[in-house]
Amino acid sequence: MESLHGILHGLAVAATPEHLLYTLIGTFIGTMISHLPGIGPSAGIALLIPVTFGMDPSTALMMLAGIYYGCMYGGAVTAILLNTPGDAAAVMTVLDGYPLARKGRAAATLAIAAVSSFIAGTIGVTALAFIASPLAAFALHFGPTEYFGLIFFALSTVSALTGDSLGKGLLATFLGLGLATVGIDLQSGVQRFTLGLVSLQDRVNFLIVVVGLFAIAEVSRMVEGTMGGTLHTVKVKGRLWFTREDWRRAYPAIFRGAGVGFFCGAAPGLGGTIASMLSYILEKKISKHPEEFGHGAIEGVAAPEAATNADTCGAFVHLLALGVPGSGATAVIMGAFIMFGIQPGPMLFQTQPDLVWGLIASMYIGNMMLLVLNLPLVGVLARILYVPPGVLLCIILGIASAGVYSFNYDSFDLFLALVFGVLGYAFRKLDIPKAPLLFGLILGHTLEQSFRQALTISNGDAFVFVQSPICAFLLFCGLVSIGASLWARRQPATVLDEAKGRVAAESHSG
Amino acid sequence: MKIFNSDVILGIVVIAGAAVYLWADSRLPVAAMADPLGPKAFPVLVGCGLILSGLILLAEGRKKYRTASGTTHRRRVDMRQVATLCGMLAWTVLYYATFDSVGYLIGTPIFIFGLLCHFHRGKHLVNGLIAIGFTAVAYALFSLLLHVPLPTGPIPI
Repeated sequence: MESLHGILHGLAVAATPEHLLYTLIGTFIGTMISHLPGIGPSAGIALLIPVTFGMDPSTALMMLAGIYYGCMYGGAVTAILLNTPGDAAAVMTVLDGYPLARKGRAAATLAIAAVSSFIAGTIGVTALAFIASPLAAFALHFGPTEYFGLIFFALSTVSALTGDSLGKGLLATFLGLGLATVGIDLQSGVQRFTLGLVSLQDRVNFLIVVVGLFAIAEVSRMVEGTMGGTLHTVKVKGRLWFTREDWRRAYPAIFRGAGVGFFCGAAPGLGGTIASMLSYILEKKISKHPEEFGHGAIEGVAAPEAATNADTCGAFVHLLALGVPGSGATAVIMGAFIMFGIQPGPMLFQTQPDLVWGLIASMYIGNMMLLVLNLPLVGVLARILYVPPGVLLCIILGIASAGVYSFNYDSFDLFLALVFGVLGYAFRKLDIPKAPLLFGLILGHTLEQSFRQALTISNGDAFVFVQSPICAFLLFCGLVSIGASLWARRQPATVLDEAKGRVAAESHSG
Repeated sequence: MKIFNSDVILGIVVIAGAAVYLWADSRLPVAAMADPLGPKAFPVLVGCGLILSGLILLAEGRKKYRTASGTTHRRRVDMRQVATLCGMLAWTVLYYATFDSVGYLIGTPIFIFGLLCHFHRGKHLVNGLIAIGFTAVAYALFSLLLHVPLPTGPIPI
């Protein structure tokens, strides 16, 4: 009941002209970003955070959230028309979306992707509203010990489940935690690992790391793409609506995909790619026509698209209720929260009800806006695909440079972002996942504080972490996730590999 | 030398880096007024975690080597791409190094135009318009609208 009141209150907040305008801008920008190969939601949000300086935090966060789910919504367009996923999570849509487009059904496939995203997004936001508030109320009882367990669980899950190697996942996480120790230690006043640089005393700016790792590093991918193969775009043609038969086959897949996606999003570290992969596997297993999958099955588009969008909402559960991001992009949004001086977590529902319920309600509105935007404008938006990548990469570098400078008005930050750009390039070449580094960096400070406070309270007794049942359970879950990843290393990844292989084969065939 | 695949080399580099990190941590001063655990304890855990991840990488590298029956897959390196990326990096470093002294309004169009000359060849007029247009829009957005004091260099604004 409290959640229902919250949603109604949030709708009143989100429906003001200013909030509606910025939600529309966010969703539109997100859709455009998703059409740019190489720029994902994390980089897109990080690049646009400087634009929100001076805005009211609620308005800014509604816009940034709009970019996130707009990006996930539009990721299907490049997957269907270009055989290149607009974001990593849309990789499964390639398997059936592109074959359908090549059969002359591009418009109908885009329509089913848009409707699937809308339905799953709406289900996801409703689930978010009804789960986040009770979870936040429960988390109010958390002390430093429980927070240590929670962050340990989140970090171990993201290390174990992101990427193809446990070693590389752990490396990225510990690098992030190591970066979080740079700067002046607030409890003792001691400078740690600053290399004598004044600019590093106030810690490594999370947003600079994001711009470097994602935006600047992705420019190198575009350079390789520009100099490598060519992209084959399928024109949007045919009737921009699907048939009754398409709908009959798609709608159960949409609901199943929404369920799978939301639960994957609510588990930190699983992310949209795994959600779309699991939903695709599920549909293929229970389908009466499994042989059609990979050759143009409409369920193969509906289920992953639904899962990806519901996953987005699931990722907000942790962020809003516990202060722990559920994905790389929500980690960046958490950075924006902190930039505005707002600490996401259980107290948010008590101290900032307008903001939190307004943000949730804006997702309902944003979803509707996306449906209205995407269906009639898909042909127009698809023209972004024809912008030469050589021009695009220069513009991205230009925006990234001005954006990074605007954080502190310090040209040292430009070099720092460039260093992280080079690091991001090395990560890509060595197949090291980037999301665990973000998690480690943004949660490292809280993890250290919780660790030190818990041990101070217990007079240095390390058993304090297993004496709390919640903490012990979370530590156990974290260890199980690492053990599980060691035991069954990527068995279902064959389908994901198939999708990635097809994308790679097509991009090189030109 | 066959045994040194990229995972093994990465593992060795990570362990060496972790050792340097732990050494730097051991040299941190201990504050008298700090909490009982002090500022050194958490970095020790992080350093140990880095060593653990390095060891796992070594084990994974060995496993890959065995399953590939002694052969390692070498990635083809396109030297033209590497040269382009290095040139782009140097051009960006030069842009950043002169960011304050040259100013945004002079440095950015030169930087963008230089990149476009390579990545969007033969269209000098279009490239020039893009470089100037982008700089004008970005300056208006950041400096005039968002009040970010972008460096002006020698231009008196």
